[in-house]
Amino acid sequence: MASLARHCWSLVAGASLALPGATAAAGPSAPGASDLPPPSKIRDLDYGDVLFHFFQDDYFEALVRLEVARELDRVPDHAAEAELLAGGLYLSLGMHAEARRRFEAVLAGPVPQSVADRAHFYLARIGFQRGYLDEAWRSLESIRGALPGDLEPERRLLAANVLMAQGRYREAAATLDGWTDASGWVHFARFNLGVALVRSGDAARGRQMLDAVGTIDATGEEQLSLRDRANLALGFALLQDRQPQPAIVALGRVRLDGPYTNRALLGLGWAEADAAQPQRALVPWLELRKRPLVDAAVQESHLAVPFAYARLAANGEAATQYRNAVSAYAAESRRLDESIAAIRRGGLLDAVLDAAPGAVADPGSVGWLWQLQRAPDAPHTRYLYQLLASHQFQEGLKNYRDLRIMQRNLQAWEGSLEAFDGMIAAREAAARARAPRKDEVLASTDLGALELRRAGLAERVANITATRDVAALATPEESMQWRRLDELDARVSALPAGERRDALAERARVLRGLLSWQLDAAYKLRLWHLRASLQQADVALAETRRRLALVEQAGDLAPRQTDGFAARVSELRRRMSALQPRIDAAAAAQEQVLAGIAVREIEAQKARLASYATQAQFALATLYDGAASGGGR
Amino acid sequence: MNARIPRRLPNRRRQLLSASLLLLLGALVLVVRADAAEPVGDARTVDQDVQALKKELVDLNRDLFRLEEELLYPASTQVAVFLSVNVGTFFALDSVQLRLDGKEVANYLYTEREVAALHRGGVQKLYLGNLTAGEHELVAMFTGKGPHDRDYRRGTTLRFDKAVGAKYVELRITDRESALQPEFAVRQWD
Repeated sequence: MASLARHCWSLVAGASLALPGATAAAGPSAPGASDLPPPSKIRDLDYGDVLFHFFQDDYFEALVRLEVARELDRVPDHAAEAELLAGGLYLSLGMHAEARRRFEAVLAGPVPQSVADRAHFYLARIGFQRGYLDEAWRSLESIRGALPGDLEPERRLLAANVLMAQGRYREAAATLDGWTDASGWVHFARFNLGVALVRSGDAARGRQMLDAVGTIDATGEEQLSLRDRANLALGFALLQDRQPQPAIVALGRVRLDGPYTNRALLGLGWAEADAAQPQRALVPWLELRKRPLVDAAVQESHLAVPFAYARLAANGEAATQYRNAVSAYAAESRRLDESIAAIRRGGLLDAVLDAAPGAVADPGSVGWLWQLQRAPDAPHTRYLYQLLASHQFQEGLKNYRDLRIMQRNLQAWEGSLEAFDGMIAAREAAARARAPRKDEVLASTDLGALELRRAGLAERVANITATRDVAALATPEESMQWRRLDELDARVSALPAGERRDALAERARVLRGLLSWQLDAAYKLRLWHLRASLQQADVALAETRRRLALVEQAGDLAPRQTDGFAARVSELRRRMSALQPRIDAAAAAQEQVLAGIAVREIEAQKARLASYATQAQFALATLYDGAASGGGR
Repeated sequence: MNARIPRRLPNRRRQLLSASLLLLLGALVLVVRADAAEPVGDARTVDQDVQALKKELVDLNRDLFRLEEELLYPASTQVAVFLSVNVGTFFALDSVQLRLDGKEVANYLYTEREVAALHRGGVQKLYLGNLTAGEHELVAMFTGKGPHDRDYRRGTTLRFDKAVGAKYVELRITDRESALQPEFAVRQWD
């Protein structure tokens, strides 16, 4: 999974070459650094959150967060990049169909040319991976400008690979002319082309390419491994062409402690033998024969060693070694039978994944395929290395691992859903507990009466304003004074006419005038205060109305919200339940397919061992025949 | 003793050599064609099934993730604190501590992989929680190692108003203000 992601973001040449174990190796430069915005350019925090997981190779988590963010419109400022990243993540996770759909969606929208170019590139990669070579080539031709960073050399490598797969070797070679990038991608391209040319019959040019890669100044395990492969391929191409001396030079450049050492030792021996140096041939072959017989090159060394002794006319030693070879082949054949039986009993893939402890526990693990090379010597896994050389087996194993990770994912969510159920139940209980208090509040609040009183007050203010009734706004003391003046007027009127009554009447008139003036002077301010109070009452009433509505709704909303969540939990649980048996069925089917491949592979090894055993017996018979006729020592 | 080479061995040698060449060149073919290998037969059907299952699982996880967030951290009360890094690789972040209204809500120790992800532009959602509307105080503290193995410890305090609606706060460790001296920059996002 991890290596596919790195493909997508232009990084791992080794993975694209499907070297056993190299799929997990690091690329020539930092993944995706040139393909994503620099740190200071993150404009949506949720997009940065997605990248945080992406950069840790946790592609599944990154994809889920990205899909949530897109659905909630939380990455509007990175929309095109987000679509491109989603496509890349689907591709990383092996969902080619969805990845393709996403990249096509990118191209359907108005996007900058640089984004469109990257979408074309990934479509080309998918086309190549799925074997749609013409389509892949059309996508490559649609790229207008240079791709950013490491994507550009990968584009050139992909173009060369597509051309080679189409048999257009001359054009493929032309794409590599003058390519001197520092990232090391060109070496992978030249290696591929070299092998393709040798196979197509243009051995001279092929060997030239392989020699160029076989003498690179390699840095890092990935390049060292590639250099070994180039020298191995070159050595055997030269051997095939009966050129033992240059073959010895090429094979001698293969490291003594790498994954190709056994095959190089075998080839070195054949080159020495072909150069009529059987004594020298024995050196690599004897070293090789000490190694575990599970390796095909080691198996062949058991035949090669007595062959060399025979060439040295040490027929007695040769006969002994041939007999040893026959016994060793028989023992190994029994072990192969054990493996076939163990695989047929089931549990192959679990045994394989158990050999890499981090494979399932850490979905972001990039080294699990590499760990499998050091698989334990158990019947299920003994021949794993050979199986892992098969791309189909690797892809199937990745699928099986993904299914196991999916099962763990569902199990984890099951626990969460139970917690959600508890939380929703608690919320419902709290809503029920609040219900009596709510009823009490609602019963004790007569909002209608309050609103009637407010309306009456407003009408009064309107009347006072219309008639300028200053007395209506009098203070209680002023009202009392007004009433006492009325009483005084009545009493004065009842007095007999005369000076005294006139004097009292005049005094009462002055006092009323004074009071009227006082009321008139205060009227405006009092009216303003009254209106302000009325407004405050309006605000208070509105707030009361709102709170009462909330209280009323609280009882209705709580069950409705929890019902909503409960329904969602229920629906998600149904989907989870439906997925589980399908995952189990797919895992079983995958196991069956890979067990079939494994058994066929081991049966082929058995057939090869049987052929070696026959050859050993035949050689032994020939030696005895020679000895009987008077030769040998 | 005279050395005698069995009559038939040269032919057998050629057989063996050709077997080796087939074996080894066969492996090399894989190198060129591996990327273009499409599963066939049963393997193709299983591959298609697995692809469909994976897509359903992504959709399921998306919906579960949303449900969890909406249930636990409703938009009206949600507060999220993010952490980003914009310093040279000379600074290695060790930990970040977060206190909200005097209460410790996060104390995070970083792995090398996480630090690398931050340096490359990833933004960590350090804390997701709930706060009522009103004024709050956020105190953040980070520790790490700078040039010459020097220990750094820096802090910042933010007083902020939480309205109704989600509140995003970004804490950025930056050296923009003073060269080679990491420090916090705080930004509130609406």
